[in-house]
Amino acid sequence: MSAAGTVRLEGIVKRHGALTVLHGIDLAIAAGEFFALLGPSGSGKTTTLRILAGLEPHDAGRVIQDGVDVTHREPGERDVAMVFQSYALYPHMSVYENIAFPLRMIGTPGTEVDLGVRDAAAKVRIDHLLERKPGQLSGGQQQRCALARAIVRKPKLFLLDEPLSNLDAKLRLETRVELRKLQRALGVTTVYVTHDQEEAMTIADRIAVFIEGRIVQIGTPNDVFEHPASIVVAAFIGSPPMNLLPGTIQRGSVVVGAFESALGREGIGDGPVTVGLRPGALSFADRGMPGRVDLVEDLGDSSIVNVEVGQQLVKVRTQHRPGVREGEAVHLHFAADALHLFDRASGARL
Amino acid sequence: MKLRKAFITAAAAVILVVWSFPVLWALLTSFKTERDVLAYPPKLIFAPTLANYTDVLFGSASLLPNLWSSFIVASFATALAMLIAVPAAYALARLEFPAKHGTGFYVLATQMLPPVGLIIPYYLALQKLAALDTYSGLVVIYLTFSLPFAIWLMVSYFEDVPREMEEAALLDRAGRLRALWHVILPQVRGGIAVTTIFVFLNAWNEFLFAVVLGGNRVRTVTVAMFNFISVEQTLWAKLAAGAVLAMAPVILLGLLAQRHIVKGLTVGAVKGGGRR
Repeated sequence: MSAAGTVRLEGIVKRHGALTVLHGIDLAIAAGEFFALLGPSGSGKTTTLRILAGLEPHDAGRVIQDGVDVTHREPGERDVAMVFQSYALYPHMSVYENIAFPLRMIGTPGTEVDLGVRDAAAKVRIDHLLERKPGQLSGGQQQRCALARAIVRKPKLFLLDEPLSNLDAKLRLETRVELRKLQRALGVTTVYVTHDQEEAMTIADRIAVFIEGRIVQIGTPNDVFEHPASIVVAAFIGSPPMNLLPGTIQRGSVVVGAFESALGREGIGDGPVTVGLRPGALSFADRGMPGRVDLVEDLGDSSIVNVEVGQQLVKVRTQHRPGVREGEAVHLHFAADALHLFDRASGARL
Repeated sequence: MKLRKAFITAAAAVILVVWSFPVLWALLTSFKTERDVLAYPPKLIFAPTLANYTDVLFGSASLLPNLWSSFIVASFATALAMLIAVPAAYALARLEFPAKHGTGFYVLATQMLPPVGLIIPYYLALQKLAALDTYSGLVVIYLTFSLPFAIWLMVSYFEDVPREMEEAALLDRAGRLRALWHVILPQVRGGIAVTTIFVFLNAWNEFLFAVVLGGNRVRTVTVAMFNFISVEQTLWAKLAAGAVLAMAPVILLGLLAQRHIVKGLTVGAVKGGGRR
């Protein structure tokens, strides 16, 4: 018996003519979970969300909600609410009417509609804007209106399609915190599509990373950050992303160019690998991987130092102004447990 | 920049003169006596008379019944065309059904036939149905050209409504019909206004089918005006007065719906243009 709000996708395949855009998506989302679908543009995350909503037909696989197969159910029969990237507010209706619309469509009595609308609007702090038309609202207010319209019916499942992408940077940071609080308060299972890995990391309980129509990793933000399952995930997660350098394993050591470091773990055979190092895991020291400072990017409270190591550019994130100058020869230090090793051929984590 | 503006203003002025000349000429002529009309060189200063209007409104050859006929035919043709075109256009714009593209092309293809080539088959068909010189006969024939036109115009308006808006309504449990009624139609009402006006205009101004398929009972104003031209003489002043009367409701309609027309014609030109 499943709890209310669980979602499962089994072997979802979607084709556009000869092109396969989803190659068998399998997902299980727990009740009340905030689940992010993360991936670059065209990776299939929005298509997956639309299939969940019932807005997009698919070629194979099943959608299961609370243990019930809803694959062939119409969008309106699935008890889901969605916030679209464009918000899709009804421009001819006032904010009040927009929020009231889902309630009116299920025949809610007038007084309950009024209570519901005011309650939902208060939750997203737009209760003073109810008489306005969407065209008279700012982007942030429109987004709140769309949220209120989604929560007013108290659905089992929220689907959010890049809801913050049209907001400016400051508002985006504020809204994502509020969104997270709202979701916790309501306890509704939420599936959130974004291409912004930072957003996914901060907001979600778990993340599914989509690359080219496949889920390449599912895990908590920490899992995905600390233990990327493959080179593609490693290269996608983190800002700036992980440095990936060609190296080899020789007799228990990892060799990058002319630099050799202890591997610090057993069970990895000799051979070519890709070495992954997070920019934040690197520091400047008297000894270590030799390089030359190419460029220092000052971010105010931190800096990103671009260091040429052999033919490659390695990014180093420091928490303070680094004591290095452009052109200076430096050594990069890292702890053995900060090393990520990937199979050179398959890209899989070792 | 200034030069460009001057050029555009000049071009607009020329177009305005060319466009308004026949209208103004007809207006002036309608207030002249037949003698003044034929005067050479043409008289710009003359003693205006309302005799032509009294004549074409209340005289022996009154156009009032014909204006009424035109109104009946154009109104019914427009109402029926819009009643069918709106859901048809919605289906073509949004729904997936077998032979959708074929259907769309067929609707357009009917517009490619020269109307004069259809007169004889239409005449024979109406004759067999005993519908020659009847309102219903003429309305049905008018539908053959106004319906495809209305469908194609409306398709573009429906396509302009963001699909997500309809999807949001579907997720809100509106169902297809209520989504159409509550969400989509209010947003294409500018388009509906424009299409209605154009369809009405086409029907109101139609002459060819009306002259052949109409008769003594159903004689539209365009056909009745034609009677002022005969082998012996052409009554230009009365013809002009009739034309002004026939134009009046159309111009009035245009002025009333001007806001919608401008908005509707620029649909898709800018993001969000033509909506609301």
